[in-house]
Amino acid sequence: MTGVPRSSQMPATPSRSAVSMRVLLSNEFGLTALIALTAVVFALTLEGFTSPFSLFAMGRQIGIDTMIGLAMMAVIVTGGLDLSVGAIGVCAAMTFGWLAQTKGVPVLPSVVLAVLLGGGLGFINGFAVVKSGVHSFIITLASMSIFFGIMVFLTKAAAYNGLPAEVSAFGKFKFFKTISPLLLISVASCIGLALLYRFTVLGRQMLAAGANARAAELSGIRTGRVIVACHILTGLLAAMAGLLVVARTGAAVPSMAGQLGQDWLLPAFLAPVLGGTLLSGGRVSVLGTLLGATFVNVLTSGLLLMQVGSFWILAILGSMLLAAVFTDRARQVFLKSRGMI
Amino acid sequence: MAQPFALGPTARLFDNDWIGPCIVSLIAILAISWFQPAFLSSFNIFVLSSAIAVNMVIALGQLVIIGIGQMNLALGSIGGLVAISFVGVMEKFGIPVPIALAFALGIGVLMGMASGYIIARTMISAFIITLAGLQIFKGINLGITQAQPFYGVPDGVKAFGQASVLGPLPWLLVPMLLASAGVWYMFNRLRIGRHILALGANPHAAELSGIDPKVTIIWAHAVSGLLAATAGVMLVAKLQIGQPTIGDDWLITSFAAPVIGGAVLSGGRVSVGGTFFGVVIIAVITQALVIFNIDPFAVQIVLGALILWAVGINRLREVRIAKLQSMGAKT
Repeated sequence: MTGVPRSSQMPATPSRSAVSMRVLLSNEFGLTALIALTAVVFALTLEGFTSPFSLFAMGRQIGIDTMIGLAMMAVIVTGGLDLSVGAIGVCAAMTFGWLAQTKGVPVLPSVVLAVLLGGGLGFINGFAVVKSGVHSFIITLASMSIFFGIMVFLTKAAAYNGLPAEVSAFGKFKFFKTISPLLLISVASCIGLALLYRFTVLGRQMLAAGANARAAELSGIRTGRVIVACHILTGLLAAMAGLLVVARTGAAVPSMAGQLGQDWLLPAFLAPVLGGTLLSGGRVSVLGTLLGATFVNVLTSGLLLMQVGSFWILAILGSMLLAAVFTDRARQVFLKSRGMI
Repeated sequence: MAQPFALGPTARLFDNDWIGPCIVSLIAILAISWFQPAFLSSFNIFVLSSAIAVNMVIALGQLVIIGIGQMNLALGSIGGLVAISFVGVMEKFGIPVPIALAFALGIGVLMGMASGYIIARTMISAFIITLAGLQIFKGINLGITQAQPFYGVPDGVKAFGQASVLGPLPWLLVPMLLASAGVWYMFNRLRIGRHILALGANPHAAELSGIDPKVTIIWAHAVSGLLAATAGVMLVAKLQIGQPTIGDDWLITSFAAPVIGGAVLSGGRVSVGGTFFGVVIIAVITQALVIFNIDPFAVQIVLGALILWAVGINRLREVRIAKLQSMGAKT
């Protein structure tokens, strides 16, 4: 399951039934089926589930959750993790707010600078992890506290809510009355990442370093640099997620990701894990992450329409994370027993 | 740890995990009280000790899990759910304090055991299981309270959180001392404590020598749940209210103190004394920021920096010890 080119691990001539079984048991297929089933049930039973506004709001949130999930996925590839994604996202959002509102910088350059700041913070994480040899958990635990602390210190915990009008207009914009540009940005990022992991040397190296760091090192990959690159990518994506949230709310708010940015941890892990990204590294599923975020939001909006309190939904999503890792474990056991891994 | 060569008494003292943090906290206290004598006023000592008492129990809850080489992200959400359950059953059902206390501590142990059982049974990483646990417990907490606090804390509990047991020392120090002694005893004298450390240091070797990893993991998480529950109840007494937000800010402190105290995050090496001085350093610095009128938000930056500093020091010590041991082996 950890191999990079999956085909190389399969028997030389896999039987047709083994291939179709593999497809049926894949996360992507399972998730698509689940999404279709839940969506059909909700559409038939709940009034307003398929209204244009409901679809628009759902798509917009899917866009944001996908971006948060991709940010974490980019570093899970190496077998590491980044607790500071929320803190980086808020830092980027507040930087954007400061540039666009206080400094009067035009929107587009502000976006670019904020995203670059995210990449810089990711670089700090990656550099510290590689140079110290300490697990990324403790390094990013410290950096989430530091990044968030500096942000609150500089902004005095005040929000930027006088942003240029085009920011909230962008967040409210609809293609065909239902599709949010936020969703399109995330789908475009998915395509970009899929190309990166499939066709570029760097992407291949990221997967190889995550699957087996020593083997990668022996085959001439400078794993240290690759891991730093993964953290930079995480920082860039986290910053973009922060900006998507700004576009949705129309303001840059320091508490948008909760205390120290901890509220992003659930969506950050839920989407990739549901989508079949291995926590031990070496295997990613970009499409799975998109589908994972979609499933979460289809379920959430259905439950909200059923008047389930949003607090209980938090508990349900937590249980879903458990269910996802259980399913993953069960599938691996099944595939192993059939000799398919 | 086994020493392959003899160390002098001074060297042996400095080989202890707690000595470094102890010296740092003494210097910090002396320096701050030299600039600001009010730092050692009895009121300030009371405030400081109350904070230390609660944070120490929180840190011990994480220390037990660090010992086994795992992490418990759900610590704070267990403490929060216990806190609101403790006050909730007293306010809504008029249950007397001792029974409510036993109930609250009991559900803390159960929540810990549930995480432990799932981790032991599936061997999925503790990080992801306790992350799910964090969301589930927090969701139940908010679902029950609708984010509103319970106010029905009995006078006896309130008095416990505000009264002093001896001079400027608060009653809250008593459960802290009991918990610290208990955890110390467990790690140094009880078989289960030894098993936890052995499993943390080298899971494979531990299993080969007959340690049951499943039982050990469940035990460690149950103890962690009990400590989180104790800290939750202590915070109810200290804050005089059943706040649903209790536990939200435990994550950083719970890791910072053990790491400052020399705990190795991959497991197998923990120090109760070191953790205590880690907690003291954090409390003293937090208090100093208040006294010198520095922005309270700077606490987050300082805490993060302290973790990095401690990780760096631990790393240097590891290198030094390895070097000393290889020298000892040669002679």
